[in-house]
Amino acid sequence: MNDEKILEVRHLSKKFGENTVLIDIDFSVHTGSVICIIGASGSGKSTLLRCINLLETPTSGEVLFHGTDITKPGTNIPAYRAKVGMVFQNFNLFNNMTALKNCMIGTRRVLGLSSEESHERALFYLNKVGMSPFINAKPRQLSGGQKQRVAIARALAMEPEVLLFDEPTSALDPQMVGEVLSVMRTLAEEGLTMLIVTHEMAFARDVSSRVVYMNEGVICEEGTPEQILVNPQKQETRDFLSRFMNG
Amino acid sequence: MPQDFLGRILFILDNYLPSLLRGAGTTILVALVGTFFGCIIGFIIGIIQTIPLEKNDSLPKKAVLRALRLVLYCYVEVFRGTPMLVQAMFIYYGSMELFGIDMSMWFAAFFIVSINTGAYMAETVRGGILSIDVGQTEGAKAIGMNHVQTMVNVILPQALRNILPQIGNNLIINIKDTCVLAGIGTVELFFASKSVAGSYYWYFQTYTITMAMYLVMTLFFSRLLRWFEKKMDGDESYSLAHTDTLEQTSGLYKFRGKNRKERR
Repeated sequence: MNDEKILEVRHLSKKFGENTVLIDIDFSVHTGSVICIIGASGSGKSTLLRCINLLETPTSGEVLFHGTDITKPGTNIPAYRAKVGMVFQNFNLFNNMTALKNCMIGTRRVLGLSSEESHERALFYLNKVGMSPFINAKPRQLSGGQKQRVAIARALAMEPEVLLFDEPTSALDPQMVGEVLSVMRTLAEEGLTMLIVTHEMAFARDVSSRVVYMNEGVICEEGTPEQILVNPQKQETRDFLSRFMNG
Repeated sequence: MPQDFLGRILFILDNYLPSLLRGAGTTILVALVGTFFGCIIGFIIGIIQTIPLEKNDSLPKKAVLRALRLVLYCYVEVFRGTPMLVQAMFIYYGSMELFGIDMSMWFAAFFIVSINTGAYMAETVRGGILSIDVGQTEGAKAIGMNHVQTMVNVILPQALRNILPQIGNNLIINIKDTCVLAGIGTVELFFASKSVAGSYYWYFQTYTITMAMYLVMTLFFSRLLRWFEKKMDGDESYSLAHTDTLEQTSGLYKFRGKNRKERR
């Protein structure tokens, strides 16, 4: 981790009609850090991530990528998204393509690599997530965990600077959660900058450099994994964690 | 001259089959070309109608898009809301009187069926696009695809599969409905039949043959499209890729005859 701020969120708010989902969010992501965002369902974690990737347009506030505000009109949003990857809860693999094609299409069409290069890259990252035997399979033929690993490979093939994970294991059964988390662990060790919305507390404790606890649309508490998960200062955080740990 | 029903039918077939077949050929050609270009028009309109308008898009982009959508909306409503025969008359004679354009019979036929089909297909394609889970679009956006790339690579191939039955429907409808082009002098199956029927006043016998010919054409194309749908769905199974090519050498050979039987 170094001092460069790759992403910076400033005074970000999001409303869906009358319903305020995010209120004045401020935080930043340093290059090489892994940040886990935890919190109850409906606390705005996913919306925050979607605002960062501009899948939702923030109502107000700024998102700075290398110091440039990407919420301004005239921003080349596709080019920005190519550098900030995203992994979804429901995988969102392209159903009309095989696993291999899923990982090739972005590098081929968006980055403009030759088909040999993008093929090579796709194989490399599919191998990394342990999915190389399944390159010919269509998404409907894969299990949830396998789909999510292909989705991670698809995001990695773009060689993004930051990777956003939106509850990547929430749609998986416990057996498959492990295989996806171990892939993510490897990525963390390799120094990929990641922003992860998760309910996996053990994972958050082990891999993250910072943990952000969100509650009702605001960042309630932020700090190192020990500060947040072991010695939370705020009552809300303590309540959330105790509810979570006791099931 | 034969007096019985069967005799007359045989007589017509004997003397006029070539002209009826030529008519049928024209019908198929017009229907196929019209459906094809109609689909293309439909897909283009579908893409334009689904371009998302964001709050921070520039003003000219918004204005152009809004204007374009209004024009397309009018096109769809006008050509969906009026009979094709009337459109054919309106365009064929209108272009001659207003602009002095004398459309050839072929061009007029292709043009009219295409824009008519396009108006229907625009809505079908829009429905097809809306039927695809929004996650597919988000997945494509997340790796940096723009709207056209998303549409061409991800959404439309899936939408096409979903609307294929409707495209088939349109083709069948077009095979039948090109008969209204007889109104502007296109010699398709109905026009040909009318001439044959008129020469001996054997209407019933002639149109029995015509009925049969239309039915054969529509049945053929509906079967063809079913087959195409199946083909598009692809294999139910997939093969594992092995990095070591020697890893599995036994049990990989497919015995063709046996395998065919195993398939449904």
